[in-house]
Amino acid sequence: MDHGNRGGSGAGRRQFLMGLAAAGAALTPATLWAQARSGAGAASPGLMPSQRALLDRVCDLTIPDSDTPGALAAGVPAFVALALAHGLEGAGAPVPAARFTGGAGPDGATVLDWLTFELDLKTGGAFLAAAPTSQVQALAALDGAAYVPGGERSPWRVLKGLIVTGYYTSEAGASRELQYELVPGHWDPDVPVGPHARAWSNDWTAVDFG
Amino acid sequence: MSTEFDAIVVGSGITGGWAAKELTEKGLKVLMVERGRMIEHGSGYVTETLAPWEMPFRGEGDAALYTRDFAVQSKNRHFTEFTQNHFVNDRDNPYSVAEGTEFNWWRGYQLGGRSLTWGRQSYRMSDYDFGANKKDGHGSDWPIRYADLAPWYDHVERFIGVSGQAEGVASLPDGIYQPPMALNVLERHAKGIIEQRWPDRRLTIGRTANLTQEKEGRSACQYRSICARGCSYGAYFSTQSSTLPAAQKTGNLTLITDTVVERVDYDARTRRATGVSVLNVKTGERRRHTARIVFLNAGAFNTNHLLLRSGSDAFPGGLGNSSGLLGTHIMDHATTVGAVALFDRFQDRTTFGNRPTGIVIPRFRNLDRQEGDFLRGYSFQGGALRSTWTRAKREAGVGADFKAAMRGPGGWRMVLVSFAESLPRPTNRLTLDPNKTDAAGAPLLKIDFSHGENERKALADAGREASAMLTAAGGKVVLSLDRPGAGGSAIHEMGGAMMGDNPRTSVTNRWNQLHDVANVFVSDGAAMASSACQNPSLTYMALTARACDAAVRLLREAKI
Repeated sequence: MDHGNRGGSGAGRRQFLMGLAAAGAALTPATLWAQARSGAGAASPGLMPSQRALLDRVCDLTIPDSDTPGALAAGVPAFVALALAHGLEGAGAPVPAARFTGGAGPDGATVLDWLTFELDLKTGGAFLAAAPTSQVQALAALDGAAYVPGGERSPWRVLKGLIVTGYYTSEAGASRELQYELVPGHWDPDVPVGPHARAWSNDWTAVDFG
Repeated sequence: MSTEFDAIVVGSGITGGWAAKELTEKGLKVLMVERGRMIEHGSGYVTETLAPWEMPFRGEGDAALYTRDFAVQSKNRHFTEFTQNHFVNDRDNPYSVAEGTEFNWWRGYQLGGRSLTWGRQSYRMSDYDFGANKKDGHGSDWPIRYADLAPWYDHVERFIGVSGQAEGVASLPDGIYQPPMALNVLERHAKGIIEQRWPDRRLTIGRTANLTQEKEGRSACQYRSICARGCSYGAYFSTQSSTLPAAQKTGNLTLITDTVVERVDYDARTRRATGVSVLNVKTGERRRHTARIVFLNAGAFNTNHLLLRSGSDAFPGGLGNSSGLLGTHIMDHATTVGAVALFDRFQDRTTFGNRPTGIVIPRFRNLDRQEGDFLRGYSFQGGALRSTWTRAKREAGVGADFKAAMRGPGGWRMVLVSFAESLPRPTNRLTLDPNKTDAAGAPLLKIDFSHGENERKALADAGREASAMLTAAGGKVVLSLDRPGAGGSAIHEMGGAMMGDNPRTSVTNRWNQLHDVANVFVSDGAAMASSACQNPSLTYMALTARACDAAVRLLREAKI
């Protein structure tokens, strides 16, 4: 699919937000939303460069490189983009206004619109331009809020689900970070778990019910 | 009268394959008609060996496509991007449901039908089941009892290969088994606790048509647990792996695919079926095939549909429907998650391989004494497992620590899924939709099915008991449900042409013949007079083999 820039002014918007931050301007949800929206390509099936950059960064922060490749190296952003375009795991549903901090989200907002807005808000206006530690803190705060009572319907859960799925079904995630064996060949009902044990990515029953 | 074939078998799924095998092996020239496409054993299983990263949507599938074309099928647990080619396109294959009802009709229109995707659980019914209708008055009394079917269960199990453990449990008679697959460490622990605390209950490995020993050119299971993609090892029973090669070996089988049977042709003068009228769905050509007998194995609801569509002046309400009961008393199983529990124990133990079966706790309620406020009973299926990566979707965390925490096996959990018997009710029925037709102009099948209060009470009891058992085993119950899913959710839809001795109160007789048309046999799930609470396919197979034996005997005696 085409992930090209069909939406317009992502870079300009980023510069504007950076300028706002540098000038110490008061950032309100409404102004942030207006800016996020100015660059959003809600009607576009592809992602704008700013959205792609955001997705790359968020995937990388969620599952970074370690002794195995992380989500960015495993190509997860492309899967997430495809998944968003095709509505996997409910990702096609518009995000209700009430999910936006301040309750000011418009009709038809996508999960990436929401993510852009929320992360920008948490980093003083420009998540992608923020220092890595600020980005980590912002994403951790977003994640933390999604996994406490009341956070069940956070759009982050949908996005994180796609990142997780994309990663652990990639070759690197499935067969290097975890273990993958298409033909186990036998069944052993009781084996010890060693200190460096890795889960089986293709334990299909556990994938379904675990 | 000279006919093109001795027998026509409609459908190539679990029972169609059996009918073809049995009839050809007894020397009959058989035409087997499959509405769907050809799928060759092995080479036809196109996704079998693919990894998730080799699939466009990583095995999850294209949700937009599923919403458009697979709205019902995609709700099936076994429906994935790997298996979607073994399910029908809902848009192309519509059915209707009565207002205010819901029914998931999961189907596979291809050679082998649902034998490619079935759950493989293979259980015998007991005399508690065959005697149930007579005992409590629901439905038509079965014309047979366990002793009538036992030799045919033997016959089927010997051929298909079922692995399992004989247990001596009266409600789930033992069969002829290959060595069982082993319980894992938590299941073994739970078994010990449950059987000690409730001596009338038994936890045993699921009896499954997956081989644990090589058999007649079929390999033993490789523990992949991707059966529904098709298994080129032939390690589970399907038409392709088992009955079709046996039938073809006789030289007596003619197989046609992409051909839907539009009606069973009937001669009012002889009061016999003469064959079938078919439509080639690829070429649009219509023609007739003739035979001395017709076996209907189209799948329970499609067999009903075909009979309802085969009405005539002699049978205005559908072929063989002098009783007016054709299409009635349809059933499924009422199923839901009885309980899910998390366990702290055995964190230092895990498993290797993907076992393609779970555990079963056979029915223990209302056997020799009435317990509780519901009739008949339920059983549990499920198992214990350690979570894998999908837990990362619901756990907090991002970054290196999160990645590291998700690397190892997750915690143990055990699941018990409840399957309650569905009472046969006249109000649960299939009819021809008076207003809607398919692309070929045929009236749609209309399904009017609802679970009743008895099923809800049974599932409520099951939820309590499942929770009690898992709690006793040391688990912390995190989920317990007691409301049944939509009709069809067990994929055990059956009935509509129920067996019975009385032509006024049943549609088929003790040999699976239509009471009204002696040379038409219905031996798929349509013939079921009650549902029991165990997976029904083994019973369908045994009934089919028995009916084939009877059919050939009756032919030789010139009685049909």
